[in-house]
Amino acid sequence: MRALIIDDERLARKELIKLLEEYPSIEVVGEAMNADEAEQMITDLNPDLLFLDIQMPGRTGFQLLESLESVPWVVFTTAYDEFALKAFEVNALDYLLKPIQADRLSEAVHKIMEKERAKSGRGAGKKLGLEDQVFVKDGERCWFVSLANIRYFESDGNYIKVYFDSNRPMIHKSLNALDDRLDERAFFRASRKHIINLSWVEGIEPWFNGGLMVKLRGGDKVEVSRRQAAKFKDMMSL
Amino acid sequence: MVNKTRLYWSLQIGGWILYAAVQIVAAQMSATGGVSTQRILFLSYEAFFCFLLTHGLRTYMNNNRWLALGMPRLIPRVLLVVVGLGFTMYFLRIPVSLPLGLFNPEVGFDLENILGLSLFYTILFFLWSVFYFVYNYFERYNKSLKLEASVKEIELSNLKSQLNPHFIFNALNSIRALVDENPQKSKQAINQLSNILRNSLVTEKRGLTKFGDELKVVRDYLGLESIRFEERLKTEFVIDPASKDFLVPPLMIQTLVENGVKHGISRLTEGGLIQLKTQVINDKLNIQIRNSGHYVNGSKKRSGLGLVNTTQRLKLLYGSEARFAITNESNNFVLTEITIPHLK
Repeated sequence: MRALIIDDERLARKELIKLLEEYPSIEVVGEAMNADEAEQMITDLNPDLLFLDIQMPGRTGFQLLESLESVPWVVFTTAYDEFALKAFEVNALDYLLKPIQADRLSEAVHKIMEKERAKSGRGAGKKLGLEDQVFVKDGERCWFVSLANIRYFESDGNYIKVYFDSNRPMIHKSLNALDDRLDERAFFRASRKHIINLSWVEGIEPWFNGGLMVKLRGGDKVEVSRRQAAKFKDMMSL
Repeated sequence: MVNKTRLYWSLQIGGWILYAAVQIVAAQMSATGGVSTQRILFLSYEAFFCFLLTHGLRTYMNNNRWLALGMPRLIPRVLLVVVGLGFTMYFLRIPVSLPLGLFNPEVGFDLENILGLSLFYTILFFLWSVFYFVYNYFERYNKSLKLEASVKEIELSNLKSQLNPHFIFNALNSIRALVDENPQKSKQAINQLSNILRNSLVTEKRGLTKFGDELKVVRDYLGLESIRFEERLKTEFVIDPASKDFLVPPLMIQTLVENGVKHGISRLTEGGLIQLKTQVINDKLNIQIRNSGHYVNGSKKRSGLGLVNTTQRLKLLYGSEARFAITNESNNFVLTEITIPHLK
C-alpha cells in the first residue's frame, strides 16, 4: 500500500516513518506539511492510505478530507484534541494518539490491510464506483461512507443531501459536478433533483406524464423524470 | 478605596451626631424643666471632641499599620490607647464646660467622678475600636476570599493550560523523534519539560513569584515549542536586568506567551516570531509580548475567559495600578502588554 503522511511537524513525520519501517507492505510515497500540499500530492500520487494530523496551520485535516472527491483509507494522528477524539469515538474512525505506540499502529495497519483485501480494484477507473468511499462531515459528526451504502443523493440549494443508513448529512457540492464524477453504471441521474444508486432499486412503477417512480430498498421513493425515463428503462432491461 | 473612605466619613460623622443627639434627648428627659442651651452646647462639643479623638486614633493606627498586627499584640495596644483617650477626653471637657459655666471644681476633680467618667469614655472608645476593627477584618476577609477564589480558579485553569494535553503529548512525540536524531538535545528537552511539569504541579501558596523564575518557565516552554515548530518559531528576549527585582503572578507571562503560540504561530503556515520584552519605567515593570498573527477580539470564548481571568487577577493583586491590554500592533503583530507596580 502506498501511504502519504500529513503532519505539520517534521519530527512527528520522521517518527511515524521510522515506525512504519516495520511494515514492508506499506510504502511511504510522500510527506506533506499542510492541507494544501497534501491535496496536491493526493492528486499527483494517488495514495491508498493517509496518516493525517487534524490540527495544522491553514486547513484542518477534516477540511482537507471534505475537499477530496474520493478519499483513500485514513488513519488520523493527533496528540490530543477533545473535539476530534469525540468525533472519532462517535464514528469509530481509526486514529492514533501521539506519541504513537507500536502495537496500536500495528492494529491500525492490520485493520486497514484487511479492509483493503476485502474490496477489489478501487481506483481502477477514473470515476467513482461502489468500492470508493467519501468523507462526509455534518457539524460534529463525520463519516467515511462507502458509495455502495448510499441510496441516493438529493440536491438542496448549493448542497447535496446524502442518504445512507438513517443519516442524511449535507455536502457542499452541486449535483451536476457530482454526477460527472460518478460511475454511470452504478449511479443514475433520475431527475434534476436526484441521483440514485442502481444497486438499491427494488421496484419501478409508471408515473404521471410518462415518468417513473422508483422504489428503493428501505422504502424510499424517487421520481424519474420523463426525459430520463426512457434511458432508465434501457439500462434496467439489459 | 474611594468608597471605603466615604463610608468611613459617613459613619464617623453620622455616628457622633447620633451620639450627641441621644445624649441631648436623654438629658432632656431626665432634667426637670428642660435642658439648658449650655448643656446642649456642651454635649455637642463633647461629641465633636470624641469625633476628633477617634479620627486621630484612626490616623495613628493606619500610619502604624495596626490592622496588620496579630491579636496578641493588638489587644494590649488598643486597651492602652483607649484608656489614655478616656482620660484625655475627661480633661478636654473642662476647658469646654468652664466658659459655659457648667464646671464645678468640686465635682470636676473628684477622683470617683474622674474615674467614672473616664471609664465611660474608655468604654465608648473601646466600642468604637471594636466596631472599626471588626469592619476592617470582615472587609479584608472578604477581599482575601475573593483573591483566593480567583487564584484557585487561575491555578486550576493554569494547571489545565500548563498541562495542556495537546502541548504535553506533542512535546513528548517530538522528544521521542529527537532521541535518535539528537540525543543531547532530547535530554535537554526532557529537562525543560520536567521543569514545566514541576512548576505547574507545585501549588504556589503565595500569589507572587520572582520574575526570574517565571522567565525560566517561559524560556523552557518556548524551548520545547521550538523543537516542535523548528524554524517556524523564532523567539527573542529583550530583558531589562532591573526586572529581576520584581514579583509577578506565577504563570501569568507563560500563559500569555502560550496564547501567542496557540493563536498566532501555530495557525501560520510560515510560522512567526514571539518576542518577550521587559522594561522598568518609573519603578514599574512593563512586559511586552509580541507574536505574529492577528488578534480578533472575542473570537474565541476560551481565550476570552483567560483574558478576563488575567485582568481580574491583576486588579485583585495590584488594584488600579496594573495595566493589561492586547492590541494589534500592525497587521502582522499582536502586542500583549502588562504593567505592574513594584511590590516590596
